[in-house]
This record gives sequence, C-alpha cells and structure tokens, in this order.
Amino acid sequence: VISLKGHDALCEDAAGNRAEIAVELVEPVEAGEVLLTHGGVAIGLVSSREEDS
Amino acid sequence: VKYVDEFRNGEIARAVAAQIASLAEPGRHYKLMEVCGGHTHTIYRHGIKDLLPDGVELVHGPGCPVCVLPMGRVDEGVAIAERPEVIFTCFGDMMRVPGSRGNLLEVKAEGADIRMVYSPLDALRIARENPDREVVFYAIGFETTAPSTALTLQRAKKEGIENFSVFCNHVTIVPPVRALLDSPDLRLDAFIGPGHVSTVIGCRPYEFMPEDYGKPCVVAGFEPLDLLQSILMLMRQLDEGRCEVENQYGRVVLWEGNLQALKSMAEVFELRPYFEWRGLGFIAQSALKLSEEYADFDAELRYSTPGVRVADPKACQCGEVLKGVLKPHECKVFGTACTPERPLGALMVSSEGACAAYYNFGRKSYERVEIGSKG
Repeated sequence: VISLKGHDALCEDAAGNRAEIAVELVEPVEAGEVLLTHGGVAIGLVSSREEDS
Repeated sequence: VKYVDEFRNGEIARAVAAQIASLAEPGRHYKLMEVCGGHTHTIYRHGIKDLLPDGVELVHGPGCPVCVLPMGRVDEGVAIAERPEVIFTCFGDMMRVPGSRGNLLEVKAEGADIRMVYSPLDALRIARENPDREVVFYAIGFETTAPSTALTLQRAKKEGIENFSVFCNHVTIVPPVRALLDSPDLRLDAFIGPGHVSTVIGCRPYEFMPEDYGKPCVVAGFEPLDLLQSILMLMRQLDEGRCEVENQYGRVVLWEGNLQALKSMAEVFELRPYFEWRGLGFIAQSALKLSEEYADFDAELRYSTPGVRVADPKACQCGEVLKGVLKPHECKVFGTACTPERPLGALMVSSEGACAAYYNFGRKSYERVEIGSKG
C-alpha cells in the first residue's frame, strides 16, 4: 500500500505496476502493508508471521 | 521479490521433494487432488510433477471458475451482450469461452459493445460514465471473486446507480468437492485446498473432508515451495495416520477467513437451490444469486434469461478432466482440434484451466515420457 484515500488505496505490485484497490473488506489498512487483491478489491492482508519461519 | 523469491528456491524444493519421496511407501499409489486451477498452473509451470516420486499422482480438481461454467450460461451472457442498449463487461478470461453460437469475442467483432474489465468496480465506473446505457457485469468466480462483486453492488446501491446490473455466475467450492467425494469414479487420498478461496471462507468449511470422508486437506499457497510443503504435510498425515485440515498458507489465510468479506457476501447474495456445473451436472446449493435486497441489480431478472441447458460438444471431454477422471492429454481432441488458439472446451481457454496449463507447460514432458515408453 502506497497511500490511502477513503476506502481506496493506491497500491504497487511486485513489478511496479500501480492500481487503485478497494480496501473496505480488510480495513483497517495502513501504508506499507501488503495486501492480497482480487478483481480490484483487497481480500486479505499478507501477514509477516511467516517471514520469521 | 518479497513473498516470491523465497518460495522458489530450487535447493529447498529438491530437499522437500526428497522428504516427500522418503514418506512414500513402495508400491503404494497416492492420489492427491489440487482443487484450485491456480495450483494446476503452478504445478505445470514450475515442473512440480517432475519432482515427485512415481507413486504420488496429482489430480486436477474443479476449481477453475471459467472452466466449470456450462455452455447455457455462456449463451445467456452472449444474448445479453447482443442487446443494443447494453455495454457488456467481463473479465478477459470469459471472452473466448465457447458457447453454442460462438463466444463473446466473436459477438464483439460483429458490433456488440463488450468491454474487458479488470474489476467489477471498473464496470461500475463505466455505468457512471454512460448514464444513457445499461451496463452489465458478467460475474464469475468462486468465493475469491464474489467479494469484489458484492462490494461493487454495495457501492452501486449506496450511490443509487440504476443503469448497472450483474449477471451472477458465482459458485462455491465445497459442494462440488463433496460431489466428487460421493462419486464412484474417483478414489482420492487427500486434498490440496484452495488458497485464495480460503482467504475468504477460512479453513473450517473443509472439516467435512476428514470428518465425513476420512480425507486429509491442506490449504496451500501458490508458489512452488507452498505446493511442495503442502504435499509433504499431506504425506506426513497419511504416514502418521492423521486426518485433519491444516493450513500451509498461514501468511494469508486465517482459520476463520475474512469476516468482513463474508458479511458483505451474506448481504448481497443468497444460495441458489441448484446450479449446473460443466461435467458435474446439477449440484444443490453450489452457486450464488443476488439476494432480494439487491434484486434490482439482477441481470437475470432485468433481461429475463431463460435458463436454457446446452450440451457440450460431443468430442470435448472437459467434464471428465474436471472430475479428475481423465488427464488433459487423454482427451480425444487435446492439442489437435482443441488448442489455446482455437479452444473447443473452456479448460483450454482459461490460464487456470487444466488443459491450457498442460498444453503450455506440461506437454513436452508428457511427449517425452510417451516416446520413451514406446521405445
């Protein structure tokens, strides 16, 4: 997540592509978080829990 | 790339594959079904199958939403798209899925206003920009995609947009898996559960697999190491005589799912009494329609779609492949009359379709095996 405006977030994927993503379904969201998106809508937050494993 | 490179490490993949091989009992045949088309794609794209011992077989499941859509529903979408007042919107995957009278791409070439969208929210934007036209979104997909449709309809209702409707073809994952388990055609040992569907519905809906059928299930991510680790987890369960639902995709999937998404879906959708699946026939309570509260946005009601059944082409064996009874290359028309350029069946169209994955990534390996076996 790059930035937030209302219920939408400007997001950047791994290839550097940017898109506006609706985030109502995963709120609260903060800039810097990683989202799983599908069809322009975030459906999950990617947790850092497994980064340590 | 974060969340990608670390899950594609070849050295670790070979080590995990060796552990899988060490757990395979000599002479025993293990049949594991990957339910999701995204997993099928990863398996062939990254050569997972070639890393597994001979006794461990992966069978494709019914988890590609484009592939399971029956021809009658394609025809009904085409009929709506042909209406002069309509701007018809859909995901790119749907454009080349054959109906009995052609596909959406052909109808577009003949003049219909059909537009590919990335999101149903794009379709809603088109409706806002074209208040004198009727905009229809062709909604397909499992519980992964249904939340985006639900959210779009909630926004449409809140904004009072009246020239927008949805032709709803959303399906649910549990009923077809149960139908497969009830089928005498197929003996399966365990399931690789769909990762992104589970992001929404969680892991609890799969508990019927161990409880009612004695089959283990591991919810898996989509990178090569995710799949290999999931196969290892299943092999450990089988080796230790355990039978439960486990979650390998913990970085995304919560056990209880996404409660906000489920709430949104519960407001917008209700279960259909039954729905036709390509190759599987009619399955009770296996698909979604718009709830009464959202009936004004229902394209089926707005355009009185007749619900016609259309048989698949006789040469096409998509149904058997979807059920895991046939491998893609065992279909009579695979790679000859049916190719990604000129698909006969839906499984050859979608990138998640087993036939397309097999054609694009697995065919050479298959040919090599066949030539060797004849020699």
